[in-house]
Amino acid sequence: MARMKFICDAERCIECNACATACKNEHEVPWGVNRRRLVTVNDGVPGERSISVACMHCTDAPCMAVCPVDCFYRTEDQIVLHDKDLCIGCGYCFYACPFGAPQFPQAGAFGLRGKMDKCTYCAGGPEENFSVEEFRKYGRNRIAEGKLPACAEMCSTKALLAGDSGVIAKIYKTRVVTRGKGEEIWGWKMAYGGSDKVSDNLGVKA
Amino acid sequence: MKRLLAVSLFALAAAACHEIPQDAPKPYAGKEDTKAYAGDLFKGDKQKYEQALAQRAQFQNEYNRTGGAKQ
Repeated sequence: MARMKFICDAERCIECNACATACKNEHEVPWGVNRRRLVTVNDGVPGERSISVACMHCTDAPCMAVCPVDCFYRTEDQIVLHDKDLCIGCGYCFYACPFGAPQFPQAGAFGLRGKMDKCTYCAGGPEENFSVEEFRKYGRNRIAEGKLPACAEMCSTKALLAGDSGVIAKIYKTRVVTRGKGEEIWGWKMAYGGSDKVSDNLGVKA
Repeated sequence: MKRLLAVSLFALAAAACHEIPQDAPKPYAGKEDTKAYAGDLFKGDKQKYEQALAQRAQFQNEYNRTGGAKQ
């Protein structure tokens, strides 16, 4: 069973915003809603780093836990999606999410909030695949077309990787081992097997 | 009496160590979603669908094109 995730390689991200633009364009996301955005640490200082942030489709998603109307669900590929017909736009998920992924379109006067909108991993939502309704509420369903999220596929430096966690973790490990920098970081041993051999099993503690 | 008090205090203090799980799984209340591989493209073949995505993910690995990756 696949477990779809994103990895953003901060060593490669050049803050070009192609991911955010691709997302906006692919799903015709309205003004004021940003399913994906760039975060830069130490902006303007030599050695600054940028990462592309959106819904991380958490394995133990806090948005799911706090939703009062239980509108979140997980697909077979572990993609976290929600039903907009059920969402009441309360904003609890926004407070619970550590990544600021849930977005709320301004739906009327006096700052009235609309239904929550977030990254769907380009997997649409609980409507018939490729239907007009699905596109209107959730955006395009690339996953059902056998494609990966537009943000990752459009990434110019391939800093943003999307796909099954096992597959992309191996791509990332190959990269880090080949460039010879990154294995010294905290958590590397736990996540990537602790050795400089790409062929080693991932996720096995050294 | 002192011993009884100490035991009760210990029991009271230990009770605070108990943690009730706060994220008990809740059932999804919305509409059921169509499977991603249910359409004309994969015709319900999950294996073919997963293979297609895994193959597609490899396009993100430029070492497949350029070579030179450490093994």
